[in-house]
Amino acid sequence: MQMLFRVLVVSFWLTGCAVSVPDAPKEPMTASVELEGSPALSLLQRAEAARQQGETAAAERYLERALNIAPDSSWLYKSLADLRLFEGDARSAEGFALKALRLAPDHPQYRAELWELVATARERQGDKAGADEARQRASDVLMPGRPV
Amino acid sequence: MGCRGTDAKLYGRTSAPVLFPLAEHIARSVLIKYPHFSLYSVPMAKKTKKTPARSRGQTARKKAPARKRKTANPRRWFSWSLVAKVFVVLLVIGAAGMAYLDAMVRQRFDAHVWQLPARVYARPVELYEGRVLSREDMLKLLDLMRYRRDSRASTPGSFSVQGNSLLIHTRGFNDSDGGEKPKRIRLSLSGGQIQSLQAGGEGLARLEPLQIGSIHPQHAEDRVLVPLEEVPPLLVDMLIATEDQSFYDHHGISLRGLARAMLANLKAGGLVQGGSTLTQQLVKNFWLTSERTLSRKLLEMPMAMLLELHYSKQQILEAYLNEVYLGQDGARAIHGMGLGAQFLFGRPLQELEPHQLATLVALLKGPSWYDPRRRPERAMERRNTVLGVALEQGALSQGDFDKYSARPLEVVPRGASALYAFPAFIDLVRRQLARDYPPEVLSDEGLNIHSTLDVLAQLAAEGALKEHLDNRDPKQDKKLNGAVVVVAPAQGDVLALVSNRNSREAGFNRALDAQRPMGSLAKPAVVLAAVRQPKKWSLATLVEDGPIQVAMPNGDLWEPQNFDKQARGAMPMVDVLAQSRNQATARLGLDVGLDKVAGTMETLGVTRNVPRYPSILLGSLALTPFEVAMMYQPLATGGFSTRLRSITDVLDKEGEPLARYPVSADEVIEAGPAFLTQWAMQQVVDNGTARSARAYLPEGLKVAGKTGTSDDFRDAWFAGFSANHLAVVWVGRDDNGNAGITGSSGALPVWARLMGKLPQRSLSQNPPDGVEWVWMNPNGQQVSAEGCGDARRYPMLEASIPQDADGCGAVKQTGKGIKGWFKGLFD
Repeated sequence: MQMLFRVLVVSFWLTGCAVSVPDAPKEPMTASVELEGSPALSLLQRAEAARQQGETAAAERYLERALNIAPDSSWLYKSLADLRLFEGDARSAEGFALKALRLAPDHPQYRAELWELVATARERQGDKAGADEARQRASDVLMPGRPV
Repeated sequence: MGCRGTDAKLYGRTSAPVLFPLAEHIARSVLIKYPHFSLYSVPMAKKTKKTPARSRGQTARKKAPARKRKTANPRRWFSWSLVAKVFVVLLVIGAAGMAYLDAMVRQRFDAHVWQLPARVYARPVELYEGRVLSREDMLKLLDLMRYRRDSRASTPGSFSVQGNSLLIHTRGFNDSDGGEKPKRIRLSLSGGQIQSLQAGGEGLARLEPLQIGSIHPQHAEDRVLVPLEEVPPLLVDMLIATEDQSFYDHHGISLRGLARAMLANLKAGGLVQGGSTLTQQLVKNFWLTSERTLSRKLLEMPMAMLLELHYSKQQILEAYLNEVYLGQDGARAIHGMGLGAQFLFGRPLQELEPHQLATLVALLKGPSWYDPRRRPERAMERRNTVLGVALEQGALSQGDFDKYSARPLEVVPRGASALYAFPAFIDLVRRQLARDYPPEVLSDEGLNIHSTLDVLAQLAAEGALKEHLDNRDPKQDKKLNGAVVVVAPAQGDVLALVSNRNSREAGFNRALDAQRPMGSLAKPAVVLAAVRQPKKWSLATLVEDGPIQVAMPNGDLWEPQNFDKQARGAMPMVDVLAQSRNQATARLGLDVGLDKVAGTMETLGVTRNVPRYPSILLGSLALTPFEVAMMYQPLATGGFSTRLRSITDVLDKEGEPLARYPVSADEVIEAGPAFLTQWAMQQVVDNGTARSARAYLPEGLKVAGKTGTSDDFRDAWFAGFSANHLAVVWVGRDDNGNAGITGSSGALPVWARLMGKLPQRSLSQNPPDGVEWVWMNPNGQQVSAEGCGDARRYPMLEASIPQDADGCGAVKQTGKGIKGWFKGLFD
């Protein structure tokens, strides 16, 4: 009876693995994966240019406009999180990174990046435990075969 | 009103030191102390008005002896030396007076020539391929923005239409991101969408934001500043030709003009003609009242000369054009040609045609006498006189004179303008601004406030409320009124705010201030609190709908009733919500724990104190419609809380960014429970108490919501959302009387009509990590399979998926589901 149970356990374990193994290595996630052909992409580019010139107000406005056009874009929320981190507003950065994760496609590398972002944002807020947990999630998504 | 947080991000200076009130104080005190300056302060009209200053003891005492000395007994005191002394004294007083006047003139002019109220704009209209926008709505927007039809769209503010194709010459504007230059764009609209857009190589374009109000809390003065180089030259020519032909030659006063006026006044036996130069008129507008007294005239002259001494003709002309009084709009004084153009023609001054410019000049002779709305014949006659003088002086050709003097006045009807059309929303903006800016900055510094108002959503909300209440209460004898709040949930933008069935009426702001019991709107918080404990509850868990009694600490019994007075017995939690069962909700809420439910309400964004009484489970807590929107916002976004904002950007008067009110996102509810609650609220619309809304909504659109009715049918509520619009509707009576309505009959139709008019996106049906779709046996305890008896499909949190299957069919699940089941083995 116990043997049977173990067999069952192992077989279920394997089934679980098979399903959660990520597909073959994907193309790197970029803005154009979500925003190709959308006017939001040009707003995103303008936002990045503005940020490089230190015009954070303009960068924010561009990103908010882009989100109005492409509200389900994980990448835009990630950009907002990056911007907030850059501005020193770690709390908002964490919120936007989590929102980006909510909308993120099934792309382990990208998801891990977002968890890293969450970790950094938590660290800056002094939340060491939260940062560790996020780092753990980041390595979990990258570890193929491990149930997440 | 209590929005979560505030904190604008500042980017530049917040405010310059405000010198202006000082200057105004001086100007006012001069008016009051006016008798000091002159021995001739007797109003020309017979009915002498008592000025307050005169009755003031000190002033009167000082002056009275002087007058007596001169007049009561002159012979006794007469001597040449006395005359000389008096002369010297008068000279000194005169010099001191002049110095004082000089300081006053310069201070006012230099410090801050114009008080500029903060101006509030709607959100700019973003145009891009694929945007949902009907041709009808596009034309409606252009009309509101007073674009004029012009087949070539040759100047900013004009457009042409050919079938579905539009050519628009935008006006351009400033924004935190640099804004837009005026440009010509071509777009085609069909199938309710922008099919193509050409905007100089760009895939998107923006129309300038519509001005929807201005803020001037201290004094009801409003102004649109126009620099002289932007004033149409024809306006200047007509102004000088009609008001002051020797403007460029005189030094502030024109003796010839004065002599002519005095002659006319003598003949008439009173003051009938001014003979003032433009400079004098400016002095009058700037510093003095419009009272026609000789004394004012005498003060006006030295001031005009002083002004000319210090400032160029160009500066004086610019000041005049921006200062001159042109009429009254209720409590709001219309100053300056820029605002005059908006007020009468709904357009920027630069876009006016010659006959319209002449109408503005015509007003100078008597803004009320020649009011083109109330006295169109007089205004027309005077306008043509102005055109005639312009012709005589060579400012206008004969051809143009003939053409334009034949045109009608073409003033827009009062109230047709978007300015002041949305008092409830402006009230919200004002309250949010007041937290960050002192009143004098708002009224004086010419801030440009970019708000979140979406004109089309606002008009749809107003229309839906009015239409429904006109249906239900056509004679207004039931005294039904209502409020609507529309929010873009992801960014927290308040898109529309209606606080009255007659939306243009200002007054009690029901959306922000009518605090009413929320009734069943509280129920989603009960469900959410339950599914946050997934080991105990899922949406499939059966809850008993039957009589329930709770003994209260004061000895009373709390015995909630169902709306239909029936008890339905055990039912799945999702149906408890969809059918809005009171007794089952009360039982569930008490099982979950009052503290947990109240805590969930607070997490969702209720900032009021939530008492831990059983009655809160059924909505005894009173909230304003705006607060309900705050509470439902995280439900609409899957658990992310965002401050509701009515302002995005604040720019200074030059268009430089000063502050931003940035968007935020805080994950306050975990993804799983948020998804489940949202799904349960979808069942309310799909097959529950709100299913009648379906008739107004596109087929297949996934929306969620909840009806609410308070005791004795006093308040009807509906709060619901799609992925991009959250709308809260309240209908009731101001006296809190029985309105005879329910959430379904009183508020839901407004919501449905409104949502049906706006472009909507469906709520996502993709469960987040940790949630999966499971077929459940009706007992709520066992996994089942598709097609098995009454099995129903639920989104389930992994922790709540039962280990037991009912044995019907093959339990077909996803890997995660098995894993969940597997994990359950060890839990």
